[in-house]
Amino acid sequence: MESAIQLSCFDCSLRPARVFCDLPADALEAFDAIKTIALYPRGTTLFNEGRPARGVFMLCDGRAKLTVCSGNGRRLTLRIAGPGEMLGLSAAVSGTPYEVTAEMLDNSQVAFVRRKDMLHFLRGHRDACLQVVHLLSQDLHTAYDRVRAIGLVRTRHPAAAKEAI
Amino acid sequence: MLSPYGLEIVESCLTCKLRAERIFCDLPNSALQAFENIKYATAYPKGAVLFVEGQSPRGIFVLCKGRVKMSICSTDGKTLILKIAEPGEVLGLSATVSGKPYELTAETIDPCQVNFVKREDFLRFLKEHGDACFRVAEQLSEKYNNACHEVRSLGLSHSAAEKLAKLLLEWSSRNGEAMKQEPRLKLALTHEEIAQMIGTSRETVTRLFAELKKRQIVQSKGSTLFIRNKGALRQMAGA
Repeated sequence: MESAIQLSCFDCSLRPARVFCDLPADALEAFDAIKTIALYPRGTTLFNEGRPARGVFMLCDGRAKLTVCSGNGRRLTLRIAGPGEMLGLSAAVSGTPYEVTAEMLDNSQVAFVRRKDMLHFLRGHRDACLQVVHLLSQDLHTAYDRVRAIGLVRTRHPAAAKEAI
Repeated sequence: MLSPYGLEIVESCLTCKLRAERIFCDLPNSALQAFENIKYATAYPKGAVLFVEGQSPRGIFVLCKGRVKMSICSTDGKTLILKIAEPGEVLGLSATVSGKPYELTAETIDPCQVNFVKREDFLRFLKEHGDACFRVAEQLSEKYNNACHEVRSLGLSHSAAEKLAKLLLEWSSRNGEAMKQEPRLKLALTHEEIAQMIGTSRETVTRLFAELKKRQIVQSKGSTLFIRNKGALRQMAGA
């Protein structure tokens, strides 16, 4: 691993620059108490599309590739997630299976929070819930951009669409 | 009170009988009262445009009655329908939260009752009411799920036939028809609109329906479509 593990969010110097992480002290303390930190090597699959959502994964550093898959195994990259992003959030909030597969592209530190703990945390901390609403809005904007790139380019110029994919 | 479009307008959320069934609307009393103070109940005829893709977000639209077509458009005017929003959905949500332009265009396909809330009022409401904030997170999650499904369908389907088969199976799985051997569904959209949902031409959709009927996979009676051979349709969908 490239960097030493950072156990507490309070010691993280990158926190103010990140949408979710920049929480008030009480919320941060509560989040610190429910998260578990792990270092994952490049190539690790954090979760698989279609599997029940067991929790959320906060990328402390590094990148992860988010893909969707067809029934016959063909794969399409939805986007590359970067540091500060929370993965598996929509599935954890709605209680539906993960919509995508997340695979680490770098050796990275990841904070994991179980679904039950995350929901309890969000209900108890309005600021954190508001940050989650912002994160989900951003995710949705990106997903719509992808729909536009694939759906509208593909129907007119198949070759250009392949490039977009 | 009756509106010009034959809609019975529910003026107050506090007395709405449908509230309990809807994710966003079923709020605790304090939040509901606050929402009541910031919303404007409005009625729209069929074909009204609530907001246009690229426009600055002025607020959210809670769909109380009727259905709304949500679409995106290319610069040359080609349209792709992402979904048909049903009563209970909150439209324009992510743009209103993020302050970025609306990503989609919303157009009513029935006479609709819509409760509009101005952006600044809605953001303040979310900050003050944790329950409402959580419901918004749930709605956004559902929309994200739908967008991923759309990416998968558009990007990974081999053919228009596969996409149409998937769409018909998805529609037939609603309204308690999922377990039936020969489910039926109401085709509320034109061939042109179905084409816009799967990113193909109207001519292709008409040809595919003719083929499905010829192979006795589906049968139509008026606007009702009967799926006669679910297995064959599933095979077409690659399921």
